Amino acid sequence: MASAIEVAGVSKSFLIPHEQRTYFKEYFLHPFRRTQYERNEALRDVTFSVEAGEFFGIFGPNGSGKSTLLRILAGIYVADAGRVRVNGLLSPFIELGVGFDLELNARDNIRINATLAGLTRRQLDARFDEILEFSELERFVDQKLKNYSSGMLMRLAYSIAIQIPFDVLLLDEVLAVGDESFQQKCFATFERFKVEGKTVVLVTHQLDLLKGFCDRVLLLEHGVVSAVGAPADVIDAPHEGALVG
Amino acid sequence: MRVLRVVGVIQGYVWSLAKPLAYFGVLWLVFAHLLRTANQTEHFTLFLLIGILLFTFFSDTVGVMLPSIVHGGSILRRLAFPPILVPLSASVGTCITFLVNISALVVFIGIGRVSPRPAWLLVLPLLAELYLFCLGVGLLLGALYVRFRDIGQLWELGVQLLFFASAIFYPIGILPGWAEKVAFVNPFVQIMQDVRHAVLGTSGPNDVTAASVYAGAGGRAIPIALALLIFLGALAFFRREGRYFAERV
Ligand SMILES: Nc1ncnc2c1ncn2[C@@H]1O[C@H](COP(=O)(O)OP(=O)(O)OP(=O)(O)O)[C@@H](O)[C@H]1O
Ligand SMILES: [Mg+2]
Repeated sequence: MASAIEVAGVSKSFLIPHEQRTYFKEYFLHPFRRTQYERNEALRDVTFSVEAGEFFGIFGPNGSGKSTLLRILAGIYVADAGRVRVNGLLSPFIELGVGFDLELNARDNIRINATLAGLTRRQLDARFDEILEFSELERFVDQKLKNYSSGMLMRLAYSIAIQIPFDVLLLDEVLAVGDESFQQKCFATFERFKVEGKTVVLVTHQLDLLKGFCDRVLLLEHGVVSAVGAPADVIDAPHEGALVG
Repeated sequence: MRVLRVVGVIQGYVWSLAKPLAYFGVLWLVFAHLLRTANQTEHFTLFLLIGILLFTFFSDTVGVMLPSIVHGGSILRRLAFPPILVPLSASVGTCITFLVNISALVVFIGIGRVSPRPAWLLVLPLLAELYLFCLGVGLLLGALYVRFRDIGQLWELGVQLLFFASAIFYPIGILPGWAEKVAFVNPFVQIMQDVRHAVLGTSGPNDVTAASVYAGAGGRAIPIALALLIFLGALAFFRREGRYFAERV
């Protein structure tokens, strides 16, 4: 089977500046001072692949690099080293609240997001109602997102992500703030994606989700892949570092 | 409902004209009536209006592009798309406002009884050059703003200085020769004088263009090359920095 995602030797570090140099003035006042940076290795030599049609889980402690990895897969961050290949159309659901203009209402945010994700105007018109219907936010379509609850934002973001044509869906902590009824709705879509042969990468702290849906899971600790394999083997095996959540 | 919509459009139109016309009103009062600069300048009203409209377009366009990545960039953290779309789409709004404002100019041209001339067509490539110059400065400052959050204050100072240095409300001919040569390095001054020359013809101060100051039509090459250089440099810089916008905004 062809692989949907191939990740080979991916590393990514961020610089933590120890003196804040975010003002041009400081370069003018202290032109010869070098800023002290500390390197924060968020991902180190990460290698794995996901088969087409696979439901793939990623878990690990807070700050272990899961969201960073997903962003690199989505082409939002650039890796310092390594190679990433995604075959097929990709739709990302990145952490909550990110990417919405909170000063705009849902209507405009749906339009902006869907257009930038590559939907044509006709596709958007056709799917606009479906997005609203799935999120059950019809009443609030003209309300500014800054007045949305976090669950409402999540509903909106998920509804947009699954209405963009995709072969590969990236989901980062999608169910964290959803209520029971929306979780059930999401599970139904998961089942549908499995039947349709879509590839799904799910980042979550909920181990029962990993066991319930995933074909394989990956454990990420301190930016390093500690284990990949069947959920039962990876999750129940003893490993260093306490899992959060 | 339809009436309301028409009223809304008119309100929007008046609003977009308010700023340049306020500038224009004050400067016109001071220079045409109190200082009598107008005496030396045929069509002083149009001369001033052209300068102000072009400058408002320049400063507004750069002004909206500068913070666009930082303020509108949260979507860059969610989706992968060319980040240049953010400042470009911000500039579309000021372009539309500018086109609307030009209609006010047309009214004044009618009042001033300036007859249409083929040279008016030159205005189109000049406006294209101005937009290119705006894009260059806007992309450069927009990318820098992601790193340095005081670029906005520097730009505010810069735009004030440029306004006074750019011969918008005084004839550039009153500058000494060396200062004229310096002023025309600025692509904005070259564009503004060429537009005035094209629209109003050879009347007094409108005669002074980059071509006359640098002796020869080739003189325009200096500011045009500068505008092009800034644009290409800014584009390259924006491309390089753009890879990291998502993690820095
Ligand atoms: N834009 C950024 N700039 C600097 N550091 C960053 C940036 N994004 C992430 N990091 C750092 O990278 C590391 C990994 O963060 P990441 O968000 O990937 O963790 P995570 O595994 O998703 O955690 P969580 O379970 O809390 O969501 C953290 O140390 C974080 O501080
Ligand atoms: Mg995360």
